[in-house]
Amino acid sequence: MKKRNGCLTAGLILTGFMAVFILLGCFWTPYDPTAMAVGPKLDGPSLQHWLGTDNFGRDIFSRVWKGTGATSAIALSTVALGAVLGVTAGALTGYFGGWVDGALTRLNDAITAFPSILLALVVLSLLGSGNKYHVVLALGLVFAPGYARISRTAYASLREANYVQSARLMGAGHGRILLVHLLPNTLYSLMPALTIGFNNAVLAEASMSYLGIGVTPPDASLGYMLSEGQGMFSAAPWYALGAGGVIVLLVFGVGLVGQGLQSRDRGVG
Amino acid sequence: MKYAARRVVAGLTTMLLVSLLAFVAFDLISGDPAEIMLGTQATPESLAALRAQLGLDRPLPVRYLDWLGGFFRGELGISYQYKQPVWELIVPKVGVTLCLSLLSFLLVLAVSLPLGLLTAGRTGRGEGLRTALNQLCMAAPPFFTGILLSWGFGVALKWFAVGSFPDMGQNMWGALRYLFFAALALAIPRAAMTVRMLRSTVAEELGKDYVRTAAARGNSRTQLLRRHVLKNALPPVVAFLAQTVAELAAGAVVVEQVFAIPGLGRLLVASISNRDHPVVLAIVVILAFWVVLSGVIADLIQQRIDPRLRLGGGE
Repeated sequence: MKKRNGCLTAGLILTGFMAVFILLGCFWTPYDPTAMAVGPKLDGPSLQHWLGTDNFGRDIFSRVWKGTGATSAIALSTVALGAVLGVTAGALTGYFGGWVDGALTRLNDAITAFPSILLALVVLSLLGSGNKYHVVLALGLVFAPGYARISRTAYASLREANYVQSARLMGAGHGRILLVHLLPNTLYSLMPALTIGFNNAVLAEASMSYLGIGVTPPDASLGYMLSEGQGMFSAAPWYALGAGGVIVLLVFGVGLVGQGLQSRDRGVG
Repeated sequence: MKYAARRVVAGLTTMLLVSLLAFVAFDLISGDPAEIMLGTQATPESLAALRAQLGLDRPLPVRYLDWLGGFFRGELGISYQYKQPVWELIVPKVGVTLCLSLLSFLLVLAVSLPLGLLTAGRTGRGEGLRTALNQLCMAAPPFFTGILLSWGFGVALKWFAVGSFPDMGQNMWGALRYLFFAALALAIPRAAMTVRMLRSTVAEELGKDYVRTAAARGNSRTQLLRRHVLKNALPPVVAFLAQTVAELAAGAVVVEQVFAIPGLGRLLVASISNRDHPVVLAIVVILAFWVVLSGVIADLIQQRIDPRLRLGGGE
């Protein structure tokens, strides 16, 4: 039965739109986001400045545009780091099993019981706050156990599958089986978790930067812009509204994709 | 009883391990507190004297046990930044954060339980719109909705004075009104997640054979839900709600900053940027205890609901 997957379609369209927006922002923005006095200070939206200008006369639209790219880049690096660490650990423990697997699974259960933002704050305070590489490292480490759990389950359930045994009989080594035969089949079940992970990373990074301990100037970030925007909300509400609205759109789109992927998996399985 | 005792012991062990890990981690990165406190005026003699005074010349296990004992006696060391006992800094703030996260939890329950139960298993027109709305609420970050709420209700409508949080002892009502909006910002995404979780759990249960049999015997939807479905659907929901309590406490860290609420979270953030490790360690361990405690309570409730766990068959 082929059912229309509205969530997936809508999510992909919105996410695609955001991706084009972000990629374009890497090469071109209407104004230099850091250039001061490109217009009058604290001006409302106009044809020249779509979201108005801030207290230094900087173009808010360009700033939000640049910030979206920075936030997404951090979220993507976080997901990549977490996935590489998590999938490696999950693959090895799930495939080989044994007491290491049991112990790590226990540990994993204990870690995932804690709210990720709390763990991220702890790791960040251990690493030192206010540095974007530390933010990526902290969030990557914190999200890795979640991915590890999913890939462990997938690897453990497939390790005795017929095609794996055939490969073994044909003389394939463990490395080849793990990477060539099993990895593609487990990635599929990891996809929804990756989309949720991206969203969590965007929200966590924005929270920490909003709090002033994540990404700090001169690096751009939507979270920091929100805290700037909150300070001048009465004078220039467009700053906070723009930065916050972009976060909502980004997370909303990717969330729809994740939801669509999940319901598609359920439909197939 | 046996199950309950085992669960409590496991919870206590987790708490001990967490506090040990946190203590060792912060000890490793802290550097020398004596050097930090004395700054540039330090001489070798004054450093050694302060180290002896703070007990830093003792081995790590001794210091950990001492710190753990202090946790229960109310002595958690001296803050580097504020130069006053950590305990005195923290105590007045615990109540505020607790109130905020509990209020937020009540909001989540009040919204998500009726919505989830009423709409579970009912698909059809408006389903797409409902999913979209649900996703949109999940995508509403508390720090952004918080800014909008604090501006709309605080600055524009003046229902509460942003930035001047009333003293909880003197003006309980005013404090709760202030906290309400922060709790609302915190609750929206979590309530959306709970609705989704509840809907899918109850819908899955509704599709089972025994429910169809019960329906064939003439039970109405309400009767089905009350007599049959809820009992079976509840345990995973309770576990999810425990996770929600934990997430709300962690989320309070961010929302307190948005609404300028003087709670644990604000102190935590300030202490992280000041590298005030004794304060960070104490707050982190308190929040971790809160997380473990909510997990244990959820397990005990689950065991009340589900006799299989009580008899040990659920293991």
